[in-house]
Amino acid sequence: MSNRAFTNAGSNAGMTTSEPLIVVPLKHYGRWCWAALTLLLAVAAMNSIVNNANFEWSLVAHYLTSATVLAGVWMTIKLTVLSLLLGFAGGAVLALMRLSSNPVLVAVSWTYTWLFRAVPLLVQLFLWYNVAALYPHLAINLPWVGLVWSAPMNSIISPFSAAVLALVLHQAAYAAEIIRAGILGIGSGQNEAAKALGFDRWQTMSRIVLPQAMRTILPPAGNEVIGQLKTTAVVSVIALQDLLYSVQIIYQRTYEVIPLLMVATLWYIAMTSVLSIGQYIVERHFGRGVAAQGRAPWEYVNDFLGFKQKRGKI
Amino acid sequence: MIEVRNLKKKFGDHTVLESIDFQVSKGEVVCLVGASGSGKTTLLRCLNLLEMPDEGSITIGAKTLKFGGGSVRRNDIKELRRFSGMVFQSFNLFPHKTVMENIIEAPIIVQSRPKAVAIEEGKILLSKVGMLEHQDKYPDALSGGQQQRAAIARALMMKPEVMLFDEPTSALDPQLVREVLKVIEGLAKEGQTMVIVTHEMNFARRVSSKALFMDKGFIVESGKAAEVLTNPKEASTREFLALLDDD
Ligand SMILES: Nc1ncnc2c1ncn2[C@@H]1O[C@H](COP(=O)(O)OP(=O)(O)OP(=O)(O)O)[C@@H](O)[C@H]1O
Ligand SMILES: [Mg+2]
Repeated sequence: MSNRAFTNAGSNAGMTTSEPLIVVPLKHYGRWCWAALTLLLAVAAMNSIVNNANFEWSLVAHYLTSATVLAGVWMTIKLTVLSLLLGFAGGAVLALMRLSSNPVLVAVSWTYTWLFRAVPLLVQLFLWYNVAALYPHLAINLPWVGLVWSAPMNSIISPFSAAVLALVLHQAAYAAEIIRAGILGIGSGQNEAAKALGFDRWQTMSRIVLPQAMRTILPPAGNEVIGQLKTTAVVSVIALQDLLYSVQIIYQRTYEVIPLLMVATLWYIAMTSVLSIGQYIVERHFGRGVAAQGRAPWEYVNDFLGFKQKRGKI
Repeated sequence: MIEVRNLKKKFGDHTVLESIDFQVSKGEVVCLVGASGSGKTTLLRCLNLLEMPDEGSITIGAKTLKFGGGSVRRNDIKELRRFSGMVFQSFNLFPHKTVMENIIEAPIIVQSRPKAVAIEEGKILLSKVGMLEHQDKYPDALSGGQQQRAAIARALMMKPEVMLFDEPTSALDPQLVREVLKVIEGLAKEGQTMVIVTHEMNFARRVSSKALFMDKGFIVESGKAAEVLTNPKEASTREFLALLDDD
């Protein structure tokens, strides 16, 4: 203990320089064979899709930007954005309630999550759409003040509001679990360091814990976002005119079922692709300070072709 | 500067601190030594209320808090914490912030100091701990010794009356220990009041004016560091030191 040797301590983090080595990528012949085979299959599939007259691509092109379809796309976007924003806001509140030290809040949050994850979204959708049968009137009654506001339920519940309600309440339950897991993943050391520096609870949560939790929250949340966009298609069952319902309206008139389903397919692919790119950019932003960062698809391509990799931040 | 009276702390029905009394005057460096499990970390954490004591009182700087009579108000906790800076065994830098962001965060958010001022002060402190050239790096890109030096700068930014260190070097590779001890020694020379839990006995003898030896939740011996750590009176202290000198 007493005669521990210290050599050049303090400067030992310095770099050691050595002769530059010339790095030659390995040649992987097997890899090229598999790639060629896969490409061949892909080309064949593409060929059959493009040349199969049943797809009626000219009709697809015609309907792709028709007013009805665009209105449907817009509705799908609105439903997705609304249900995600409100759903994650609600999820954050539920997660904080669940992690609080107040047993009542914990129980309420737990029950909510349990209930809304137990009932299929489709069932919730029908229930909200028909809630007027349960409660014909909605009224706000304050003690001492009396009746503040009231309206017949049927004037409040439209297909749109029923859809938003069902999607938001459902999304909130899932978002709560994702956010809670992210927060729990941050060690107590971070909390204590923040406390010791004088941060209050809200400052610790918003400036230290949540930004770090985002790293674990974002990948599943991104999947939720993309999933939610596709999930909104269920609202067509209550005749809300989203993307799917719009093409249904058209093909029930014209019987051009396949081309119109292709129109919907192409729009869903386009929208989810945009979201995937957004997901990548956002994840990279919150990955600051972490050695292993997410990689973009083109980095894999570069890797595959054996191009030299730029060294990431270490 | 610090006055601790009759401090008690239990975890469940396991009493970890039994009636702790001690004082630290301004500019004094006190080292806290003792066997594993004797309560050193708990005592240090009680000083800035990361652990809430069950009984007794703590005075740091201008603030006195008494425990045992109902719960402590949040504002009182905040006020007492203002007087101390804590350095953890595991550094606990914020990994999503650069070194500079780490050290200016609390001054800006908690003390509402202007950012430009905080950065200027940050630069001075970072150069003092030898970390100025690393100010834009994230903690993950730093060695343990560098992280700990940044963590010391982060605590110093709050201009605490007293710095609390809990085994600041025991998570470090041996060759990184000295760079951190040197920084702490530098602070001692400047007259910074400090309480240090450490197993580095030579370092403790060198920098501290006073040593407290803990055993099973009691302070069993205290006095001049050179005496307690070289010629202890108590048998348990002697035993402990003999164990350390074995390796
Ligand atoms: N949060 C806790 N809950 C329950 N018991 C605890 C807690 N923290 C510490 N203890 C117990 O309190 C006693 C003192 O622990 P403490 O960490 O203060 O010892 P220490 O002197 O710092 O030891 P070391 O040298 O190993 O760090 C130990 O018996 C420990 O098991
Ligand atoms: Mg300890």
